Amino acid sequence: MTGIMRKLTSAFVLMTVLAAAGLAWGDFKFPPPDFTTGYQRAPVTTPAARAHWQELLDVALMTAAMGLSAWIAFRSRRRWMMTALSLASLAYFGFWRAGCICPIGAIQNVAQGIFDPGFTVPISMLAFFVLPLVAALFFGRIFCSGVCWLGAAQDFVLIRPVRLPMWLQRALGVIPWLYLAVSVLLAATGTMYLICRYDPFVPFFRMTGPWTMLAAGAAMLGLSTFVGRPYCRFLCPYGAILGLISRVSFKGVTITPAECINCNQCREACPFGAIEPSNTVKGAPK
Amino acid sequence: MSIPDPSRDPKIARMSRRGFFAKLAQGGIIAAVGLGAAAIAAAKSPRDRRDRQRYVWQIDPNKCTQCGLCRTSCVLKESAAKCVQDLAICGYCRICFGYLKPDMASATPEPGVANEMCPANAIVRKFVEPPYYEYTINERACVGCALCVDGCRRFGNGSLYLQIRHDRCLNCNECSIAAACPADAIARRPADDPYIIKSRMPERPEKT
Repeated sequence: MTGIMRKLTSAFVLMTVLAAAGLAWGDFKFPPPDFTTGYQRAPVTTPAARAHWQELLDVALMTAAMGLSAWIAFRSRRRWMMTALSLASLAYFGFWRAGCICPIGAIQNVAQGIFDPGFTVPISMLAFFVLPLVAALFFGRIFCSGVCWLGAAQDFVLIRPVRLPMWLQRALGVIPWLYLAVSVLLAATGTMYLICRYDPFVPFFRMTGPWTMLAAGAAMLGLSTFVGRPYCRFLCPYGAILGLISRVSFKGVTITPAECINCNQCREACPFGAIEPSNTVKGAPK
Repeated sequence: MSIPDPSRDPKIARMSRRGFFAKLAQGGIIAAVGLGAAAIAAAKSPRDRRDRQRYVWQIDPNKCTQCGLCRTSCVLKESAAKCVQDLAICGYCRICFGYLKPDMASATPEPGVANEMCPANAIVRKFVEPPYYEYTINERACVGCALCVDGCRRFGNGSLYLQIRHDRCLNCNECSIAAACPADAIARRPADDPYIIKSRMPERPEKT
């Protein structure tokens, strides 16, 4: 009885050693068989990712949209045209492209590309980051007004704008800079993409997401019904950069000089508190 | 803000201080953009072709721990991570531990939904020749739970593993599965080589 046990044990030990050696040599536990019936193995299917030209098409579309936005802001000066443009942008970049390629998120790719030598920023991503900035230098924030799909989403739910006191606007205006600093830090270290992870609108564009983010997005949209563009003004880190550049832009939107009677009604009506008394604005009618 | 600035009066000064700084800043931004573009072009042009490429997310099957978060963490309702079957390294086992639950596999080798590992009934078993069976994934049914991956890795060759399917993936800038992954198994890959095929990895010779 013990003899049989010993033989079995030694056989087991031998098999274990052989199996371990087999594994060490890179063999398989169950070697793939040679078939005799002419059976052919199908390879792993590899559905392709989105093609490069499609990304370039996105860049072209955004460039065209910004050109149109600049034309509407400076030449045609019609509000319904700007609304139509932002609606189209919301439909394409927001809902069709599910909000994912955007200049706001591109901040992080660029930050990581600068600080991490092994990380390259694709040309389309770089274009999305740079184009609105260059446009802002010439024409101001035409990206925000007519193209940005996050801004469009907030504009379309704005029902009854409340004018915030200036001190509150100033105080909340600091948040984007802090948000920018933290998200650049986290992206540069490769920790996470903060802006993308806590984007309140992208769950709506995708029609799905974690319930916490859907709730945050719903709260943000609810706030947007009476505060004009709260994300843009008090959170958006890209808007902070754009705002800085637009201060020194070559052209700025002005009140139609020939028709202005200095009634200041526009100032009361502007939902974003953006219209200042004419004697303090650069390029305003004298 | 509301106090009128006397220097802005065109009779007093042709260019205000603010205007001067604006011009200075405009020049600075143009110079910065130009220098930045030149620096990027110089750093990346001939040596690295990948600057023109995009990145996509992919799961490294050797780092994956089959935790099951791929099923639930994707922003899509139906996760973009799906199981693939690399037939070139599959053992075509009659009793497949990716296909059957371990206890059921020893007790009742024959299949039946109650005995199967896959909660979505996505593994299709087909007889090839004695004693070999082919197992393939019905990708539309697969939920990416990695239960079969776990069974195949423990007891078999590891030919079943998760891959992010790029016809489904939205390629989010911040992959939420990557953020949730406990093993750091999900990383960006160049878009021209978006899949990790185990049988094409150097330590796993392909059997055809």
